Amino acid sequence: MPPLLDMQGIAKRFGGVHALKGVDFSLRSGEVHALLGENGAGKSTLINVLSGLFPDYDGAIAIDGRPVEFHRPAQAQAAGVATIHQELDLVPEMTVAENLFLGREPRDRLRLVDRRRLRRDAAALLERAGVVMDPARHIRSLRVGERQLVEIAKALSQHARILVMDEPTAALADVEVEQLFRVVRDLRHEGVGVIYISHRLEELAQIADRATVLRDGGLVGTVQLAETSRRELIGMMVGQPLRDLFPKGDATPGEELLALEDFTLVPRRPRPGRSEPRGITLRVRKGEIVGLAGLMGSGRTELLETLFGAGSSGRQEGAARLDGRPYAPSSARQAIAAGVGFVPEDRKDLGLVLGQSLASNITLAALQTFAHGGLVSTGRAHKAVDRAIAELGIKAPNRGVPVRSLSGGNQQKVVFAKQLLTRPRLLLLDEPTRGVDVGAKAEIYRLLSRLAEEGMGILLASSELPELLGVCDRIAVLRGGVVVAEQTAAEATQESLLEAATSSEPIEEDAA
Amino acid sequence: MIPQTEGADPPTAPTPPARRLPQGRREWLEFVFRFQSLFGLLAVFIAAIVFSPARNGELLFLTTENLANIVRSVSEIGIIAVGMTFVILIGGIDLSVGALVGLAASGVAVLLMERDYGVVPAVALVLLIGTAFGAVQGLISTRLAIQSFIVTLAGLQFARGLARIWSDGEGVPLAYGDGPGRAPDSFSVLNERLLGGLLPVPALIFVCVGAVAIFVLRRTTFSRHIYAIGGNERAARLSGVPVGRVKVAVFAISGFLAALAGIIHAGQLNQGSPNDGAGYELDAIAAVVIGGTSLMGGRGSVAGTLAGALLLGILNNILALNNVDANVQLLIKALVIVAAAALLTLRSTDE
Repeated sequence: MPPLLDMQGIAKRFGGVHALKGVDFSLRSGEVHALLGENGAGKSTLINVLSGLFPDYDGAIAIDGRPVEFHRPAQAQAAGVATIHQELDLVPEMTVAENLFLGREPRDRLRLVDRRRLRRDAAALLERAGVVMDPARHIRSLRVGERQLVEIAKALSQHARILVMDEPTAALADVEVEQLFRVVRDLRHEGVGVIYISHRLEELAQIADRATVLRDGGLVGTVQLAETSRRELIGMMVGQPLRDLFPKGDATPGEELLALEDFTLVPRRPRPGRSEPRGITLRVRKGEIVGLAGLMGSGRTELLETLFGAGSSGRQEGAARLDGRPYAPSSARQAIAAGVGFVPEDRKDLGLVLGQSLASNITLAALQTFAHGGLVSTGRAHKAVDRAIAELGIKAPNRGVPVRSLSGGNQQKVVFAKQLLTRPRLLLLDEPTRGVDVGAKAEIYRLLSRLAEEGMGILLASSELPELLGVCDRIAVLRGGVVVAEQTAAEATQESLLEAATSSEPIEEDAA
Repeated sequence: MIPQTEGADPPTAPTPPARRLPQGRREWLEFVFRFQSLFGLLAVFIAAIVFSPARNGELLFLTTENLANIVRSVSEIGIIAVGMTFVILIGGIDLSVGALVGLAASGVAVLLMERDYGVVPAVALVLLIGTAFGAVQGLISTRLAIQSFIVTLAGLQFARGLARIWSDGEGVPLAYGDGPGRAPDSFSVLNERLLGGLLPVPALIFVCVGAVAIFVLRRTTFSRHIYAIGGNERAARLSGVPVGRVKVAVFAISGFLAALAGIIHAGQLNQGSPNDGAGYELDAIAAVVIGGTSLMGGRGSVAGTLAGALLLGILNNILALNNVDANVQLLIKALVIVAAAALLTLRSTDE
């Protein structure tokens, strides 16, 4: 029996660059096949060929043994290929139900949208995907992880036979990952083939059968995951023996930098889906990396945003001190002036001006350092930019290219470079390695450990538990905006953190 | 520099951006796209020479007097368009500028003729009113989180109403001379030409405004803030950019320049009417768009806008020299706007 999908010698060039040079890939019915590789290895290009996004490519594609050609997205969709892209394709101003049936709304006899059936079908669809969500909610009000679940439900509804998932779990907390895997396993029983792209190698063994590794646009090999260790996979991806992913820094925590004492934010206008900080007591010392664990919606992001003066406006209770002085920034500008830096969760939306150059982005937060009387000294700015590019190992043709053209890892380094130019003493990080390949991840970890050695205090929120355990000195677990546990990295395990994050014990209400 | 997977090799210094002439067809195409408004200006200029009527063997279009006249004729729209460029770069729009021209033109005429103001206090007061008007629009837009389109749409009505109340709804002719009920002679400088009749004063003001704006948008932290806000306002705010202050300043600049254009208008016509400047906001937007500035914000330049304004001026001039009907001129202007916008789209999808 021919495989469900067979791609032979797929090649694609952009100008003079070989993005893909003759890659073979096959997918069986009912199989989950992982596609691995660092950013820029050619995964996205291969997927885009399969999705019909390029009018021309070299090589042959066959589905069920029958040759097909995909030159337009519609051809791929008609053949049963559905893709969930990293960039979510949802209309923020419309409801979940409307998005699920966008372009194929159920009609009534007058050819108008049958709203009742729309809602009913949407609810059924979400239920099949195992997603608990009100279909009448607006996409705008959903968090990244929730939007992803909607995307998955949408792909399911299109009767896909080949489902491409581009980093579906990057934005999901562990509980949601479980939910997603359940759905994927169900799909396999229905004979769907899944192409699964992920940077989280730990989870592959749970879900995927085979893995194909790409590097620099070429095929490295296809392996059975059951017989391959994580170390071997990383070795294939990186093309060299794995350096220790988590460097052991010898930073000795110094004096107290940030001190939160029963810290609470009472928002002027509470927004649904946000867990504002409640009664948080937390300390970050100089040279210390403190982790924030917790599920999606546990209030990690809200705490960091509040500490950066970028959260909900409202009244602060309890005490927050930075270097012993009261600290209550009402804008990011004030926070930066006080010596605090922030790497936000969503670098495309919050971290970067994508259309503008590397140099403009890197200097944006620290412009006054290069300015005299409002005039920017281009020479000094460029010198600083070049230094940052070299220090962080940012790969770019020159400092004038738009950051849009860089890979995810390099974009993230640009966000770091921008914040570091402001010379912060406290660095707030929200998912700093999301969507970043293994090599760049290791570099970011090394950077964090170096910064800590230099005496910077770091507060790191992450949904990747191995990352927290590997990088942090202490880890605080949040739930509903409250710190429910605090463990040293030595005593904490993935299980103990998860336990604290998911336990259903009621959070005791303080005098709120 | 060995191409390797990320993080493998030691960091290499980036090569500085090369400043050289483009090579190959593709690079030339990109080069032309990047300076589309300048190339457009050049093309229209050459076309104007080709189609110029001649008298006594001299091309009418190329006479220094005609060229100076073109710059003078676009100076008002050009000055407004420079302010509009700032607003559009932050992703906003300013519809109030045409009405502000009317307010400033009638205002300065009333102050000079009926209130016995000197030229300097009258001009200063009117410029201040324009600046404040813009700043208030910016404040309303940022504080109440209302789109600038709507705020300045209201501002347009407000300014027009204010102008009519101030001037009793009638045009105020300027009569020069000494004594009450007459405007000081020095105000008529706006009708004069310097350098032996070569350089009309409004054209000089226009060129100066353009030069200052180009400098500001190239060199200042303010300009970096403007481009960042237009490119991604949320990221700009998180980078410590004082978003509210910059926006208010941008609308204040637009109001200031609209008032300046209104004063020039009154000076050139020797009268100020509250109905002056109707539709100028749209001509200014046209100049900005032809100049290659994106209405989405974050991309564009004053140099492009100047080229766009001059392009429209040359177009009007050559059509008039050939006695083409004014209504046909409108049709051609429409085609130019669409062509410029199409080029811009082509360029952004190319990237």
